[in-house]
Amino acid sequence: MARVVIMGGGIAGHTAALHLSRMLTRSDEIVVVTPNSKWNWIPSNIWVGVGKMKSEQVTFELAPIYKRKGIRYEQALATAIHPEGDASHELPFVELTYTDPTRSGQTDALEYDYLVNATGPKLNFGATPGLGPDGHTYSVCTSGHAVDASEALQESIARMKRGEHQVLVVGMGHGTCTCEGAAFEYAFNVEHEVRQAGVRDLADIVYLTNEYELGDFGVGGLTFTQQGFQTTSKLWTESLFRERGIRAVTGAHVTGVEDGVVHYEQLDGTDNSLEFDFAMLLPPFRGADLRAYDKNGEDISAELFAPNGFMKVDADYTVKPFEEWRAEDWPRTYQVPSYPNIVAVGIAFAPPHQISRPRKSPNGTVIAPSPPRTGKPSGIMGKLAATNIAAKISQGDAVQVRSASMADMAAACVASAGSGLRHGSAASMTMYPVVPDLQKYPGTGRSVKDTFGEIGLAGHWIKLALHYMFIYKAKARPGWHLIPE
Amino acid sequence: MDHTTHDIASAPLPTAKTLRARTGLLVQFERFLAINLKMAKIIRKEHR
Repeated sequence: MARVVIMGGGIAGHTAALHLSRMLTRSDEIVVVTPNSKWNWIPSNIWVGVGKMKSEQVTFELAPIYKRKGIRYEQALATAIHPEGDASHELPFVELTYTDPTRSGQTDALEYDYLVNATGPKLNFGATPGLGPDGHTYSVCTSGHAVDASEALQESIARMKRGEHQVLVVGMGHGTCTCEGAAFEYAFNVEHEVRQAGVRDLADIVYLTNEYELGDFGVGGLTFTQQGFQTTSKLWTESLFRERGIRAVTGAHVTGVEDGVVHYEQLDGTDNSLEFDFAMLLPPFRGADLRAYDKNGEDISAELFAPNGFMKVDADYTVKPFEEWRAEDWPRTYQVPSYPNIVAVGIAFAPPHQISRPRKSPNGTVIAPSPPRTGKPSGIMGKLAATNIAAKISQGDAVQVRSASMADMAAACVASAGSGLRHGSAASMTMYPVVPDLQKYPGTGRSVKDTFGEIGLAGHWIKLALHYMFIYKAKARPGWHLIPE
Repeated sequence: MDHTTHDIASAPLPTAKTLRARTGLLVQFERFLAINLKMAKIIRKEHR
Protein backbone atom coordinates (compact mmCIF):
# COMPACT_ATOMS: atom_id res chain seq x y z
CA MET A 1 0.00 0.00 0.00
CA ALA A 2 1.28 3.47 -0.90
CA ARG A 3 0.03 6.89 0.09
CA VAL A 4 0.13 9.74 -2.40
CA VAL A 5 -0.38 13.20 -0.96
CA ILE A 6 -1.37 15.98 -3.36
CA MET A 7 -0.97 19.52 -2.10
CA GLY A 8 -3.42 21.71 -4.01
CA GLY A 9 -6.79 21.10 -5.63
CA GLY A 10 -6.55 23.36 -8.67
CA ILE A 11 -6.26 22.26 -12.29
CA ALA A 12 -2.94 20.37 -11.86
CA GLY A 13 -3.65 18.85 -8.42
CA HIS A 14 -7.26 17.89 -9.16
CA THR A 15 -6.27 16.33 -12.51
CA ALA A 16 -3.54 14.31 -10.76
CA ALA A 17 -5.97 13.16 -8.06
CA LEU A 18 -8.66 12.04 -10.50
CA HIS A 19 -6.24 10.15 -12.74
CA LEU A 20 -4.60 8.47 -9.73
CA SER A 21 -8.02 7.36 -8.56
CA ARG A 22 -8.41 5.26 -11.72
CA MET A 23 -4.75 4.18 -11.97
CA LEU A 24 -4.13 2.96 -8.40
CA THR A 25 -5.64 0.02 -6.57
CA ARG A 26 -8.04 0.30 -3.64
CA SER A 27 -5.22 -0.56 -1.24
CA ASP A 28 -3.39 2.66 -2.15
CA GLU A 29 -4.44 5.94 -0.62
CA ILE A 30 -4.78 9.30 -2.37
CA VAL A 31 -5.02 12.37 -0.15
CA VAL A 32 -5.72 15.86 -1.44
CA VAL A 33 -4.72 18.67 0.90
CA THR A 34 -6.14 22.00 -0.19
CA PRO A 35 -7.24 25.05 1.81
CA ASN A 36 -10.19 25.65 -0.51
CA SER A 37 -13.49 23.80 -0.36
CA LYS A 38 -14.33 24.57 -4.00
CA TRP A 39 -12.81 23.92 -7.39
CA ASN A 40 -12.79 26.92 -9.73
CA TRP A 41 -12.68 26.92 -13.54
CA ILE A 42 -10.52 30.03 -13.53
CA PRO A 43 -10.65 30.79 -17.30
CA SER A 44 -14.34 31.68 -16.92
CA ASN A 45 -13.72 34.11 -14.05
CA ILE A 46 -13.47 36.89 -16.62
CA TRP A 47 -17.16 36.34 -17.41
CA VAL A 48 -17.99 36.49 -13.70
CA GLY A 49 -15.99 39.72 -13.62
CA VAL A 50 -18.32 41.38 -16.12
CA GLY A 51 -21.52 39.92 -14.67
CA LYS A 52 -22.15 37.39 -17.45
CA MET A 53 -21.82 34.39 -15.12
CA LYS A 54 -22.43 33.81 -11.45
CA SER A 55 -19.75 32.51 -9.11
CA GLU A 56 -21.70 29.22 -8.75
CA GLN A 57 -21.37 28.60 -12.50
CA VAL A 58 -17.57 28.47 -12.33
CA THR A 59 -17.10 26.64 -9.01
CA PHE A 60 -18.26 23.44 -7.30
CA GLU A 61 -17.68 21.69 -3.96
CA LEU A 62 -14.74 19.27 -4.00
CA ALA A 63 -15.84 17.05 -1.10
CA PRO A 64 -18.65 15.13 -2.89
CA ILE A 65 -16.44 14.43 -5.91
CA TYR A 66 -13.60 13.09 -3.75
CA LYS A 67 -16.01 10.99 -1.69
CA ARG A 68 -17.38 9.40 -4.88
CA LYS A 69 -13.89 8.74 -6.25
CA GLY A 70 -12.52 7.29 -3.00
CA ILE A 71 -10.05 10.16 -2.49
CA ARG A 72 -9.33 11.36 1.04
CA TYR A 73 -9.83 15.10 1.28
CA GLU A 74 -8.25 17.31 3.92
CA GLN A 75 -9.32 20.94 3.81
CA ALA A 76 -6.06 22.31 5.10
CA LEU A 77 -3.07 24.41 4.18
CA ALA A 78 0.24 22.58 3.79
CA THR A 79 2.89 24.60 5.61
CA ALA A 80 6.06 22.46 5.61
CA ILE A 81 7.62 19.44 3.93
CA HIS A 82 9.90 16.99 5.74
CA PRO A 83 11.20 14.88 2.82
CA GLU A 84 13.39 12.73 5.09
CA GLY A 85 10.96 12.44 7.99
CA ASP A 86 12.28 13.38 11.42
CA ALA A 87 13.03 11.86 14.81
CA SER A 88 9.41 10.84 15.32
CA HIS A 89 8.47 10.05 11.70
CA GLU A 90 10.22 7.30 9.77
CA LEU A 91 8.47 8.32 6.56
CA PRO A 92 8.54 11.75 4.91
CA PHE A 93 5.61 13.95 5.88
CA VAL A 94 3.94 17.31 5.37
CA GLU A 95 2.70 19.62 8.11
CA LEU A 96 -0.82 20.97 7.73
CA THR A 97 -2.98 23.60 9.32
CA TYR A 98 -6.68 22.96 8.87
CA THR A 99 -8.91 25.55 7.21
CA ASP A 100 -11.92 23.24 7.48
CA PRO A 101 -14.36 25.26 9.66
CA THR A 102 -14.85 22.27 11.99
CA ARG A 103 -11.10 22.03 12.75
CA SER A 104 -9.91 25.50 11.84
CA GLY A 105 -6.41 26.24 13.11
CA GLN A 106 -5.62 22.65 14.18
CA THR A 107 -2.32 21.26 12.94
CA ASP A 108 -1.37 17.76 11.87
CA ALA A 109 1.40 15.76 10.18
CA LEU A 110 0.60 13.60 7.15
CA GLU A 111 3.11 10.95 6.04
CA TYR A 112 3.52 10.18 2.36
CA ASP A 113 5.26 7.83 -0.04
CA TYR A 114 4.83 10.20 -2.98
CA LEU A 115 4.14 13.92 -2.87
CA VAL A 116 2.64 16.12 -5.60
CA ASN A 117 3.17 19.83 -5.07
CA ALA A 118 0.36 21.51 -7.01
CA THR A 119 -0.07 24.45 -4.67
CA GLY A 120 -0.46 26.96 -7.50
CA PRO A 121 0.42 30.59 -6.97
CA LYS A 122 0.29 32.84 -3.98
CA LEU A 123 -1.41 36.00 -5.24
CA ASN A 124 1.31 38.45 -4.29
CA PHE A 125 -0.68 41.68 -4.09
CA GLY A 126 1.80 42.85 -1.43
CA ALA A 127 4.53 43.25 -4.07
CA THR A 128 2.90 46.50 -5.22
CA PRO A 129 1.70 49.01 -2.62
CA GLY A 130 -2.02 49.67 -2.96
CA LEU A 131 -2.66 46.76 -5.33
CA GLY A 132 -5.57 44.37 -4.91
CA PRO A 133 -8.83 43.94 -3.05
CA ASP A 134 -7.31 45.29 0.17
CA GLY A 135 -5.98 48.27 -1.79
CA HIS A 136 -7.49 50.22 -4.65
CA THR A 137 -7.83 47.75 -7.53
CA TYR A 138 -9.90 44.70 -8.39
CA SER A 139 -8.84 41.24 -9.53
CA VAL A 140 -10.41 38.27 -11.33
CA CYS A 141 -8.00 35.66 -9.93
CA THR A 142 -10.69 34.01 -7.81
CA SER A 143 -14.42 33.83 -8.39
CA GLY A 144 -14.95 35.96 -5.26
CA HIS A 145 -12.60 38.63 -6.57
CA ALA A 146 -14.41 38.51 -9.91
CA VAL A 147 -17.80 39.10 -8.25
CA ASP A 148 -16.39 42.21 -6.56
CA ALA A 149 -14.90 43.40 -9.87
CA SER A 150 -18.25 42.93 -11.59
CA GLU A 151 -20.08 44.99 -8.98
CA ALA A 152 -17.55 47.83 -9.31
CA LEU A 153 -17.74 47.69 -13.10
CA GLN A 154 -21.56 47.88 -12.98
CA GLU A 155 -21.21 50.96 -10.76
CA SER A 156 -18.93 52.56 -13.38
CA ILE A 157 -21.42 51.71 -16.12
CA ALA A 158 -24.23 53.23 -14.04
CA ARG A 159 -22.17 56.42 -13.70
CA MET A 160 -21.66 56.53 -17.48
CA LYS A 161 -25.41 56.16 -17.94
CA ARG A 162 -25.73 59.26 -15.80
CA GLY A 163 -23.43 61.04 -18.25
CA GLU A 164 -20.14 60.79 -16.36
CA HIS A 165 -16.89 59.99 -18.17
CA GLN A 166 -15.01 56.98 -16.78
CA VAL A 167 -11.44 55.74 -17.16
CA LEU A 168 -11.25 51.95 -16.92
CA VAL A 169 -7.77 50.49 -16.52
CA VAL A 170 -7.17 46.77 -17.01
CA GLY A 171 -3.86 44.96 -16.97
CA MET A 172 -0.90 43.82 -14.93
CA GLY A 173 -0.11 45.12 -11.46
CA HIS A 174 3.65 44.47 -11.52
CA GLY A 175 6.52 44.21 -14.00
CA THR A 176 6.92 40.46 -13.48
CA CYS A 177 3.28 39.38 -13.76
CA THR A 178 2.11 36.45 -15.85
CA CYS A 179 -1.32 35.60 -17.37
CA GLU A 180 -1.36 38.58 -19.74
CA GLY A 181 -3.97 36.66 -21.75
CA ALA A 182 -6.46 36.90 -18.88
CA ALA A 183 -6.01 40.68 -18.59
CA PHE A 184 -6.35 40.97 -22.38
CA GLU A 185 -9.62 39.01 -22.21
CA TYR A 186 -10.96 41.11 -19.38
CA ALA A 187 -10.12 44.39 -21.17
CA PHE A 188 -12.07 43.31 -24.25
CA ASN A 189 -14.97 41.91 -22.23
CA VAL A 190 -15.21 45.22 -20.38
CA GLU A 191 -15.21 47.05 -23.73
CA HIS A 192 -17.92 44.69 -24.99
CA GLU A 193 -20.10 45.26 -21.90
CA VAL A 194 -19.70 49.03 -22.04
CA ARG A 195 -20.62 49.01 -25.74
CA GLN A 196 -23.64 46.76 -25.08
CA ALA A 197 -24.72 49.21 -22.36
CA GLY A 198 -24.72 52.00 -24.97
CA VAL A 199 -22.15 54.16 -23.18
CA ARG A 200 -18.98 53.33 -25.09
CA ASP A 201 -18.36 56.99 -25.96
CA LEU A 202 -18.03 57.82 -22.26
CA ALA A 203 -15.43 55.14 -21.50
CA ASP A 204 -11.70 55.48 -21.92
CA ILE A 205 -10.39 51.90 -21.67
CA VAL A 206 -6.65 51.47 -21.10
CA TYR A 207 -4.73 48.19 -21.19
CA LEU A 208 -1.67 48.55 -18.95
CA THR A 209 0.84 45.74 -19.43
CA ASN A 210 4.36 44.59 -18.68
CA GLU A 211 4.62 43.10 -22.19
CA TYR A 212 7.23 44.83 -24.37
CA GLU A 213 4.72 44.88 -27.19
CA LEU A 214 1.11 43.84 -27.66
CA GLY A 215 0.54 40.19 -28.56
CA ASP A 216 3.50 38.96 -26.51
CA PHE A 217 1.23 37.14 -23.99
CA GLY A 218 4.31 36.12 -21.98
CA VAL A 219 5.36 33.65 -24.67
CA GLY A 220 7.37 36.01 -26.83
CA GLY A 221 4.47 36.46 -29.28
CA LEU A 222 3.38 34.17 -32.07
CA THR A 223 4.02 33.99 -35.79
CA PHE A 224 1.46 32.32 -38.01
CA THR A 225 0.22 32.14 -41.56
CA GLN A 226 -2.86 34.07 -42.61
CA GLN A 227 -4.13 34.42 -46.16
CA GLY A 228 -0.79 33.54 -47.68
CA PHE A 229 1.33 35.76 -45.43
CA GLN A 230 3.26 35.14 -42.27
CA THR A 231 1.92 37.57 -39.71
CA THR A 232 2.55 38.18 -36.02
CA SER A 233 0.36 38.24 -32.96
CA LYS A 234 1.67 41.81 -32.46
CA LEU A 235 0.09 43.12 -35.67
CA TRP A 236 -3.03 41.03 -35.15
CA THR A 237 -3.51 42.26 -31.56
CA GLU A 238 -2.80 45.89 -32.46
CA SER A 239 -5.46 45.63 -35.15
CA LEU A 240 -7.98 44.46 -32.55
CA PHE A 241 -7.03 47.32 -30.19
CA ARG A 242 -7.52 49.81 -33.04
CA GLU A 243 -10.84 48.29 -34.09
CA ARG A 244 -12.21 48.35 -30.53
CA GLY A 245 -10.72 51.71 -29.54
CA ILE A 246 -8.73 50.47 -26.55
CA ARG A 247 -5.57 52.36 -25.62
CA ALA A 248 -2.49 50.44 -24.50
CA VAL A 249 0.54 51.20 -22.36
CA THR A 250 3.26 48.57 -22.77
CA GLY A 251 6.51 47.82 -20.95
CA ALA A 252 5.05 49.05 -17.66
CA HIS A 253 5.91 48.10 -14.09
CA VAL A 254 3.26 49.33 -11.66
CA THR A 255 5.10 50.84 -8.71
CA GLY A 256 2.08 51.73 -6.60
CA VAL A 257 -1.62 52.43 -6.59
CA GLU A 258 -3.41 55.17 -4.69
CA ASP A 259 -7.12 55.86 -4.60
CA GLY A 260 -7.89 56.56 -8.26
CA VAL A 261 -4.27 56.79 -9.47
CA VAL A 262 -1.89 54.11 -10.70
CA HIS A 263 1.83 54.91 -10.83
CA TYR A 264 4.13 53.01 -13.17
CA GLU A 265 7.64 52.97 -14.54
CA GLN A 266 8.19 52.16 -18.20
CA LEU A 267 11.06 50.45 -19.97
CA ASP A 268 12.43 53.83 -21.08
CA GLY A 269 12.91 54.67 -17.39
CA THR A 270 10.16 57.29 -17.18
CA ASP A 271 7.77 57.43 -14.23
CA ASN A 272 4.14 57.99 -15.19
CA SER A 273 0.72 58.09 -13.60
CA LEU A 274 -2.76 57.32 -14.81
CA GLU A 275 -5.95 58.40 -13.10
CA PHE A 276 -8.76 55.83 -13.11
CA ASP A 277 -12.32 55.27 -11.98
CA PHE A 278 -12.14 51.47 -12.15
CA ALA A 279 -9.04 49.29 -12.28
CA MET A 280 -8.60 45.52 -12.57
CA LEU A 281 -4.90 44.75 -12.26
CA LEU A 282 -3.62 41.19 -11.87
CA PRO A 283 -1.05 40.53 -9.14
CA PRO A 284 2.35 38.92 -9.61
CA PHE A 285 2.59 35.31 -8.47
CA ARG A 286 4.98 33.68 -6.06
CA GLY A 287 5.18 30.18 -4.66
CA ALA A 288 3.07 29.06 -1.72
CA ASP A 289 4.44 29.76 1.76
CA LEU A 290 6.06 26.35 2.25
CA ARG A 291 9.22 25.50 4.18
CA ALA A 292 11.29 22.32 3.96
CA TYR A 293 13.34 20.61 6.68
CA ASP A 294 15.77 17.68 6.69
CA LYS A 295 15.86 14.74 9.10
CA ASN A 296 17.58 16.86 11.76
CA GLY A 297 15.15 19.73 11.43
CA GLU A 298 17.60 21.92 9.49
CA ASP A 299 15.87 24.34 7.08
CA ILE A 300 16.54 23.14 3.50
CA SER A 301 14.02 25.46 1.84
CA ALA A 302 16.73 27.07 -0.31
CA GLU A 303 17.59 23.64 -1.71
CA LEU A 304 13.99 22.84 -2.67
CA PHE A 305 12.65 26.26 -3.61
CA ALA A 306 13.75 29.11 -5.88
CA PRO A 307 13.85 32.60 -4.30
CA ASN A 308 10.36 33.27 -5.71
CA GLY A 309 9.00 30.33 -3.71
CA PHE A 310 8.44 27.96 -6.63
CA MET A 311 9.81 24.44 -6.32
CA LYS A 312 13.01 23.52 -8.15
CA VAL A 313 12.62 20.45 -10.33
CA ASP A 314 14.60 18.76 -13.13
CA ALA A 315 15.25 22.01 -15.04
CA ASP A 316 18.57 23.70 -15.81
CA TYR A 317 18.57 26.72 -13.50
CA THR A 318 21.97 28.00 -14.63
CA VAL A 319 21.71 31.77 -15.07
CA LYS A 320 22.51 32.59 -18.71
CA PRO A 321 21.66 35.29 -21.26
CA PHE A 322 18.55 35.09 -23.44
CA GLU A 323 20.61 34.11 -26.50
CA GLU A 324 21.80 30.96 -24.70
CA TRP A 325 18.38 29.76 -23.55
CA ARG A 326 17.56 26.30 -24.84
CA ALA A 327 14.46 24.15 -24.98
CA GLU A 328 16.39 21.56 -22.94
CA ASP A 329 16.51 23.99 -20.01
CA TRP A 330 12.86 23.18 -19.30
CA PRO A 331 11.89 20.32 -16.98
CA ARG A 332 10.72 17.01 -18.41
CA THR A 333 9.49 14.98 -15.42
CA TYR A 334 8.96 17.72 -12.79
CA GLN A 335 10.69 15.53 -10.19
CA VAL A 336 12.78 17.16 -7.48
CA PRO A 337 16.33 15.86 -8.20
CA SER A 338 17.27 15.19 -4.57
CA TYR A 339 13.86 13.70 -3.70
CA PRO A 340 12.44 11.90 -6.76
CA ASN A 341 9.27 10.96 -4.85
CA ILE A 342 8.32 14.67 -4.94
CA VAL A 343 7.02 16.35 -8.09
CA ALA A 344 5.95 19.96 -8.58
CA VAL A 345 3.38 20.61 -11.32
CA GLY A 346 1.34 23.47 -12.72
CA ILE A 347 2.31 26.89 -11.46
CA ALA A 348 4.13 25.35 -8.46
CA PHE A 349 7.30 24.38 -10.35
CA ALA A 350 10.05 26.96 -10.82
CA PRO A 351 10.57 27.75 -14.53
CA PRO A 352 14.26 27.98 -15.51
CA HIS A 353 13.69 31.43 -17.04
CA GLN A 354 11.10 33.51 -18.87
CA ILE A 355 9.91 32.69 -22.39
CA SER A 356 9.69 36.32 -23.56
CA ARG A 357 12.98 38.21 -23.81
CA PRO A 358 13.55 39.78 -20.36
CA ARG A 359 14.12 43.53 -20.24
CA LYS A 360 15.19 46.09 -17.67
CA SER A 361 14.56 49.81 -17.48
CA PRO A 362 17.61 52.13 -17.26
CA ASN A 363 16.93 52.18 -13.49
CA GLY A 364 17.47 48.40 -13.35
CA THR A 365 13.80 47.54 -12.87
CA VAL A 366 12.99 44.14 -14.35
CA ILE A 367 9.96 44.43 -16.63
CA ALA A 368 9.47 40.96 -18.05
CA PRO A 369 6.41 38.73 -18.19
CA SER A 370 6.81 35.48 -16.27
CA PRO A 371 6.10 32.33 -18.28
CA PRO A 372 2.45 31.23 -18.29
CA ARG A 373 1.91 27.61 -17.22
CA THR A 374 -1.79 27.56 -16.44
CA GLY A 375 -4.65 25.71 -18.11
CA LYS A 376 -3.69 23.02 -20.57
CA PRO A 377 0.01 22.72 -19.53
CA SER A 378 -1.11 22.42 -15.88
CA GLY A 379 -3.55 19.64 -16.75
CA ILE A 380 -0.94 17.76 -18.77
CA MET A 381 1.59 18.02 -15.92
CA GLY A 382 -1.04 16.79 -13.44
CA LYS A 383 -1.76 13.74 -15.59
CA LEU A 384 1.97 13.13 -16.07
CA ALA A 385 2.51 13.18 -12.30
CA ALA A 386 -0.29 10.64 -11.84
CA THR A 387 1.00 8.37 -14.63
CA ASN A 388 4.56 8.34 -13.31
CA ILE A 389 3.59 7.82 -9.67
CA ALA A 390 1.22 4.98 -10.62
CA ALA A 391 4.04 3.37 -12.65
CA LYS A 392 6.46 3.65 -9.74
CA ILE A 393 3.96 2.15 -7.33
CA SER A 394 3.19 -0.80 -9.59
CA GLN A 395 6.66 -1.41 -11.09
CA GLY A 396 9.08 0.08 -8.57
CA ASP A 397 10.94 3.36 -8.38
CA ALA A 398 13.47 2.29 -11.03
CA VAL A 399 10.80 2.39 -13.76
CA GLN A 400 11.47 4.65 -16.74
CA VAL A 401 9.19 7.64 -16.16
CA ARG A 402 7.42 9.59 -18.90
CA SER A 403 8.17 13.20 -19.74
CA ALA A 404 6.18 16.25 -20.87
CA SER A 405 8.37 19.29 -21.39
CA MET A 406 6.71 22.61 -22.17
CA ALA A 407 9.22 22.74 -25.02
CA ASP A 408 7.35 19.79 -26.55
CA MET A 409 3.85 20.76 -25.48
CA ALA A 410 1.16 22.50 -27.50
CA ALA A 411 -1.19 25.12 -26.15
CA ALA A 412 -4.68 25.88 -27.36
CA CYS A 413 -5.92 29.22 -26.03
CA VAL A 414 -9.25 30.87 -26.60
CA ALA A 415 -9.15 34.47 -25.42
CA SER A 416 -12.63 35.91 -25.04
CA ALA A 417 -13.20 39.36 -26.49
CA GLY A 418 -16.86 39.60 -25.51
CA SER A 419 -19.62 37.29 -24.34
CA GLY A 420 -22.86 36.40 -26.12
CA LEU A 421 -24.07 33.51 -28.26
CA ARG A 422 -24.87 35.84 -31.16
CA HIS A 423 -22.63 38.85 -30.56
CA GLY A 424 -19.69 37.38 -28.64
CA SER A 425 -16.20 37.00 -30.03
CA ALA A 426 -12.90 35.45 -29.09
CA ALA A 427 -9.39 35.02 -30.40
CA SER A 428 -8.64 31.33 -30.91
CA MET A 429 -4.94 30.53 -30.87
CA THR A 430 -2.74 27.48 -30.90
CA MET A 431 1.01 27.29 -30.57
CA TYR A 432 3.45 24.46 -30.76
CA PRO A 433 5.59 24.22 -28.78
CA VAL A 434 4.82 26.57 -25.87
CA VAL A 435 8.54 27.11 -25.22
CA PRO A 436 10.24 28.00 -28.51
CA ASP A 437 12.82 25.52 -29.77
CA LEU A 438 15.11 27.39 -32.18
CA GLN A 439 17.16 24.27 -32.91
CA LYS A 440 14.10 22.36 -34.09
CA TYR A 441 12.24 25.32 -35.63
CA PRO A 442 14.83 27.89 -36.79
CA GLY A 443 13.42 31.41 -37.15
CA THR A 444 10.44 31.64 -34.83
CA GLY A 445 11.15 28.65 -32.58
CA ARG A 446 7.70 27.24 -33.27
CA SER A 447 6.00 25.22 -35.98
CA VAL A 448 4.30 27.86 -38.14
CA LYS A 449 1.95 25.15 -39.42
CA ASP A 450 0.74 24.33 -35.90
CA THR A 451 0.57 27.93 -34.70
CA PHE A 452 -2.44 29.97 -35.71
CA GLY A 453 -4.82 32.68 -34.60
CA GLU A 454 -8.32 33.68 -35.63
CA ILE A 455 -10.92 36.12 -34.29
CA GLY A 456 -14.64 35.58 -34.48
CA LEU A 457 -17.90 34.41 -32.94
CA ALA A 458 -16.81 30.76 -33.35
CA GLY A 459 -14.09 31.40 -30.76
CA HIS A 460 -16.73 32.39 -28.22
CA TRP A 461 -18.69 29.20 -28.89
CA ILE A 462 -15.49 27.19 -28.41
CA LYS A 463 -14.64 28.92 -25.13
CA LEU A 464 -18.17 28.32 -23.88
CA ALA A 465 -17.99 24.66 -24.95
CA LEU A 466 -14.65 24.30 -23.14
CA HIS A 467 -16.21 25.83 -20.01
CA TYR A 468 -18.90 23.12 -19.85
CA MET A 469 -16.57 20.35 -21.01
CA PHE A 470 -13.86 20.98 -18.42
CA ILE A 471 -16.33 21.41 -15.56
CA TYR A 472 -17.89 18.08 -16.63
CA LYS A 473 -14.42 16.52 -16.63
CA ALA A 474 -13.48 18.03 -13.26
CA LYS A 475 -16.71 16.65 -11.77
CA ALA A 476 -15.51 13.21 -12.93
CA ARG A 477 -18.73 12.47 -14.79
CA PRO A 478 -18.90 9.30 -16.94
CA GLY A 479 -16.13 9.23 -19.55
CA TRP A 480 -14.34 12.24 -18.00
CA HIS A 481 -10.91 10.76 -18.61
CA LEU A 482 -11.53 10.61 -22.38
CA ILE A 483 -11.57 14.42 -22.50
CA PRO A 484 -7.97 15.53 -23.14
CA GLU A 485 -6.25 17.87 -20.71
CA MET B 1 3.02 59.31 -28.66
CA ASP B 2 4.94 56.19 -27.61
CA HIS B 3 5.65 53.32 -30.00
CA THR B 4 2.61 51.26 -28.95
CA THR B 5 0.16 54.11 -29.51
CA HIS B 6 1.73 54.71 -32.91
CA ASP B 7 1.66 50.98 -33.78
CA ILE B 8 -2.02 50.70 -32.85
CA ALA B 9 -2.89 53.79 -34.89
CA SER B 10 -1.21 52.31 -37.95
CA ALA B 11 -2.44 48.71 -37.52
CA PRO B 12 -4.67 47.32 -40.28
CA LEU B 13 -8.39 47.78 -39.71
CA PRO B 14 -10.70 44.95 -40.71
CA THR B 15 -13.02 45.74 -43.59
CA ALA B 16 -16.80 45.67 -43.21
CA LYS B 17 -16.78 42.34 -45.06
CA THR B 18 -14.31 40.85 -42.57
CA LEU B 19 -16.35 42.09 -39.62
CA ARG B 20 -19.52 40.58 -41.12
CA ALA B 21 -17.70 37.29 -41.63
CA ARG B 22 -16.59 37.29 -37.98
CA THR B 23 -20.21 37.31 -36.83
CA GLY B 24 -22.00 35.57 -39.73
CA LEU B 25 -23.64 32.41 -38.39
CA LEU B 26 -22.97 30.19 -41.39
CA VAL B 27 -19.34 31.27 -41.77
CA GLN B 28 -18.74 30.99 -38.04
CA PHE B 29 -20.30 27.54 -37.81
CA GLU B 30 -17.86 26.41 -40.48
CA ARG B 31 -15.00 28.12 -38.56
CA PHE B 32 -16.18 26.47 -35.32
CA LEU B 33 -15.72 23.06 -36.94
CA ALA B 34 -12.45 24.03 -38.63
CA ILE B 35 -10.84 25.49 -35.48
CA ASN B 36 -11.91 22.50 -33.39
CA LEU B 37 -10.37 20.21 -36.01
CA LYS B 38 -7.12 22.21 -35.95
CA MET B 39 -6.97 22.07 -32.15
CA ALA B 40 -7.74 18.34 -32.12
CA LYS B 41 -4.94 17.69 -34.64
CA ILE B 42 -2.43 19.57 -32.50
CA ILE B 43 -3.51 17.75 -29.35
CA ARG B 44 -3.30 14.38 -31.17
CA LYS B 45 0.17 15.25 -32.45
CA GLU B 46 1.29 16.16 -28.94
CA HIS B 47 0.01 12.89 -27.51
CA ARG B 48 1.84 10.74 -30.11
